[in-house]
Amino acid sequence: MEFVLNARGLVKDYARTRAVDGIDIEVVRGERVGLLGPNGAGKTTTLMMMLGAISPDEGSIEICGHRLPGGRSEAMQRVGFSAGYMPLAERLRVGEFLRMYGELYGVLDVEERIEVGLERFRIPELAEAMGTQLSSGQRTLVGIVKATLHRPSLLVLDEPTASLDPDVALRVRTGLRDLCQSEGTALLITSHNMVEIERLCERVIFLSGGRVIANGTPSAIASQFERDDLEGVFIHLAQVGAEQRKRDARRAQETDHTA
Amino acid sequence: MRAIQEKNPRKLSWMRIRSIARRHFYVMLRSPHRLFDVTIWPLVDVVLFGSIGAFVAGSQTASSRAFGYLLGGIVLWHVIYQSQIAVSTGFLEETWSRNLMNLMVTPVKEWEYVAGTALFGLVKLILGTGLVAVTALLLFSFNITDLGLGLIPIGAILLAVGWVIALFVIGFVLRFGSGAEALAWGILFVVMPLSGVFYPVDALPDVVRPIALVLPTTYAFDAMRTLLDGDGIDWGTIGISAASTVALTAVALMFLMRMLRVFRARGFISRYS
Repeated sequence: MEFVLNARGLVKDYARTRAVDGIDIEVVRGERVGLLGPNGAGKTTTLMMMLGAISPDEGSIEICGHRLPGGRSEAMQRVGFSAGYMPLAERLRVGEFLRMYGELYGVLDVEERIEVGLERFRIPELAEAMGTQLSSGQRTLVGIVKATLHRPSLLVLDEPTASLDPDVALRVRTGLRDLCQSEGTALLITSHNMVEIERLCERVIFLSGGRVIANGTPSAIASQFERDDLEGVFIHLAQVGAEQRKRDARRAQETDHTA
Repeated sequence: MRAIQEKNPRKLSWMRIRSIARRHFYVMLRSPHRLFDVTIWPLVDVVLFGSIGAFVAGSQTASSRAFGYLLGGIVLWHVIYQSQIAVSTGFLEETWSRNLMNLMVTPVKEWEYVAGTALFGLVKLILGTGLVAVTALLLFSFNITDLGLGLIPIGAILLAVGWVIALFVIGFVLRFGSGAEALAWGILFVVMPLSGVFYPVDALPDVVRPIALVLPTTYAFDAMRTLLDGDGIDWGTIGISAASTVALTAVALMFLMRMLRVFRARGFISRYS
């Protein structure tokens, strides 16, 4: 098996909390993996560590054989990243923005790649538009085009379809599936839209409290928790997490009183 | 076959540096208010200090050399100002437009990013310093190029010091966030009086003189005054200035890398995403 991502024993502590507590994640070439979990489960911190933007306190991350942090530049050459919440750089036209990122990744035939990318997500008319003139859906699509210009081995998407119309979300899913099939790109995606993950991903990793609590196909995970679908699992885990937090808070209060 | 330039790292780095410089150039062209730094501010400076110089030179007691000191000082000061501001605000632009996260997950290396903004800074430097020099010539008949070849090493040192100060600013912004942005403009108002831009450091109060003596800018402006006095190129002073610039560069790089490690360890990227 050819791993594009191999993360082992990731731990990350912030001032008062352990955000990530010993996570292992591996993704093989061409695989589409969903990273799910309720708010505060550690998804974004995990993604940021895999992208080299946050350094783990413990553990190792290898991308296409390049280990972080030493091989960060070489590793990132093989990774594309986009997030639904990230704006485009201001005061640039879409074409200029894409060209800039294409060059940062060393793409030689950058104009051709921009054309192909915009066509794939059916937005060729946006090339001359200013970034600030785009709707949130258009920005998301342009962000994904940016992330795929250099034909990455691993595409990391954080909430790519948040607040998108269903038709634009469908266009994103279709484009991503096409990309993974035609170029062998592996996908690691976070989303709060469980239906989307079920449609797009072959495998799902569920996080809760900074740990991996389930790892398998969407249907296998639903069966594991005796629920109908991923949404049922998600709601169940969110409720369990909330009860656990209440118990922890009560215990902390009792300890304070005793002291 | 991937159309990616990976086998020639130098060419790849140049491609990235050029791309970052071009991005900042677009930003400058499309934000006319940012041209203030290279148009209005240099004009105000040269008129202000040129007029003071003309007044002082016309008085009976003052040395006529003060006129050259003031105008030479302000023209060369703009070399530091423009190079520092271009790199600092180039980085700040990434934070203002929330582009930092996008950049941090690309293969761009830290030095390539700084080189890209510095390259863009050269354009601003030519515009800003050129305007100051031409205005000084037209309004006060002061020709900075009369200083001759000695101007080249002095200008190069001041250019490098501007970039080095910008590295400190970027380091502080990485560590302390937007609260440290004011340093991009404010730090030069600390360096300027301590460097003896318009006067020899002997004129400084005793308590701050030791600080002035460790700044490379102090020696660069001292060498400029030697040139203005017609005493030729003072290679000794320029050498001290160059050596202290190298030392300051090493300290700035260590500081920046340390701040970048802290930025990554504490997850400060969340401030910009």
